[in-house]
Amino acid sequence: MHRSIIHWIFAICTAMGLILLAIALAEPTPNAGGLPHPDYPGMVIGGDGAERLADIGILAFLFQSLLLLLIVSLSILGISEERRSPKFMAYMVASFIFMLFIWWQMYSNHQLFLETGETGYFLGFPTATAWQVYGTWLCAIPLIILYSVGFRQFVFSEEDEAKFQALLEESRNQS
Amino acid sequence: MEAYRQEIIIGAVLAYMLFCVATGLWAMRRTHSSSDFFIAGRGLGPIVVALALFSSTLSGFGFVGGPGLVYSIGVSSFWMVVISSTGYAVGFFLVAKRIRMIAELRDCLSLPDVVAARYGSEAVRLLIAITIVLGVMGYLATQILAMAVVMQAILSGTETFANIGLVACVAISSAVLIFYCVTGGIIASVYTDVVQGGIMMIAGLLILITASSVFDGGLQEASAIILADDSEAIMPFGAAGVMASLGWFFVFGLGLAGQPHLITKMMMNRNMADNRRILPMSLFGYVMAALLWISIGIVMRAAVIDGVVPPLALPDDAASTFLSVFANPLLAGVVFAGLFAAIMSTSDAFLNIGTAAIIHDIPKAIRGHSVKNELFWARVVTVILAAVAAGFALYSHFQDATLVALLGAFGWGTFAASIFPVVAVGLNWRGATVPGAVTAIVAALSINFFVQLAGITPPWGISGPLIAFISSMILFIGISLVTRRPELPDDIDRVLDI
Repeated sequence: MHRSIIHWIFAICTAMGLILLAIALAEPTPNAGGLPHPDYPGMVIGGDGAERLADIGILAFLFQSLLLLLIVSLSILGISEERRSPKFMAYMVASFIFMLFIWWQMYSNHQLFLETGETGYFLGFPTATAWQVYGTWLCAIPLIILYSVGFRQFVFSEEDEAKFQALLEESRNQS
Repeated sequence: MEAYRQEIIIGAVLAYMLFCVATGLWAMRRTHSSSDFFIAGRGLGPIVVALALFSSTLSGFGFVGGPGLVYSIGVSSFWMVVISSTGYAVGFFLVAKRIRMIAELRDCLSLPDVVAARYGSEAVRLLIAITIVLGVMGYLATQILAMAVVMQAILSGTETFANIGLVACVAISSAVLIFYCVTGGIIASVYTDVVQGGIMMIAGLLILITASSVFDGGLQEASAIILADDSEAIMPFGAAGVMASLGWFFVFGLGLAGQPHLITKMMMNRNMADNRRILPMSLFGYVMAALLWISIGIVMRAAVIDGVVPPLALPDDAASTFLSVFANPLLAGVVFAGLFAAIMSTSDAFLNIGTAAIIHDIPKAIRGHSVKNELFWARVVTVILAAVAAGFALYSHFQDATLVALLGAFGWGTFAASIFPVVAVGLNWRGATVPGAVTAIVAALSINFFVQLAGITPPWGISGPLIAFISSMILFIGISLVTRRPELPDDIDRVLDI
């Protein structure tokens, strides 16, 4: 499992690198990285959002989806191999699906706005941006709950603590 | 009260600086060894570590640069903030437990110590130490310059100091910084972090309330004004575009676990089980403080577009203009004190790790042992490092900004790209090898340096640090997979099992 998770992480990083390369090779639109605001110095405008997402939108969506998968995979790597029970792995898969759902909501609501030019608001921001602001902040909550609530079960059990204390004791005796 | 606005702000800043001096003197009594100076003797409680972690994350950049970025590029810069939950989670999953275990087991004083213990390699220690020194110089110079510029802006508003120069402001701010860093080391830093953290959380909340009252329709009206002017600026990818935004998510999110001044604090807690409380507390503090970044930026962009305030000369004026136009003088005083606190504590954290790299790690990597009387030399080198950084800051301001800009490139992104794979992945994977680590660090430094030196602007808003980070991850794992699996010392092997 340990070996496969690192291979998995390597594959994700490589795929992300290839996607980045593909995006870099695509012909950029004039407003790809923003344009100076015509009236206010120091401000940048995005211009036509549909135009700049037309060629690379899908690649960018894939890039972020892989990044979310990388985050979950790295979190799995941080847990001792013997504690990666089926229950733990199911929880991590569910966490990934939760993150992906938020990302999809943000992306699709932005697309909807680009198509219709209309948006609702939620707590001060347009719907797509509200998914970004509140959703992205909340998307790691399952991981944080697992770390805090499941600390003694998955991260550092009483048994782990005893093992470490024994190791410390041995080390002190040797020195 | 409005008539005394400037005096209230100066009073708040002065009170904070006096507090720093007093904290330095208090901490000096508790600093008896280099272990106390560099890692607080691994004796800190969860609240102190949590507040120190989040307030070191949000430097002066969060107060000045953050709102300025939102003013300039809209929602794109939110990505640097909203990744905090993911960044902290990954950092704790990957680093917090094992770095603390190795630090105690091998009596490590610094991040390069931990890396040397993990890889059994002085070359890796040396490279990490050099990366830290380069990064520290850039970070410190920009922090000192920011502190001096803000101080000059505040003082020049009074009759007495109307003509105060930048050099005098650099001297005053550096003197206070040096005094409390030299006397109190990291203990002074973490305890001022506690106060700073408290100020930042309160300021974040109060600023959000103030910002929400600027327009009758609150933040929604501000958003609608920006939407009508340029819809992309208030949409999820902002004016800078999708790849700039996602790049920041990657570099600032995962990169958090590669910041030496942050992960060194994970070595300082008294009890490892406290990590379960430190993670949510740090995150809560960061989210509260980051409200300032988001709300000021959005309201100032909308206020300028709507003609409520004239266009800003520079985007970085967003926070100070907001405070002078919309905030109660007392709140402005609290926020300015918070700004100084943010800059001071981040500077102290950088001075601390930079000093450790110079007197402890580089000599150990080259000669096999660190300098004698580490505590004395730690204080001497702290003074020298701060003085050199102040010199860089002034040189950059008056002569040539290239040097500091170049060193500044060795900031967050370079730390993330060169340290994350080696530390965050390496502490959790037995197969990580020295060739993999050396290649990853060298590649990360080279790519960042090359992109900066050659003035390359990748298309679509893709950043140099993003390219460097992905490349270093691929190289680190790829080369480790094809090189011989190392024989680890028994204690490290057992730590990687836990």
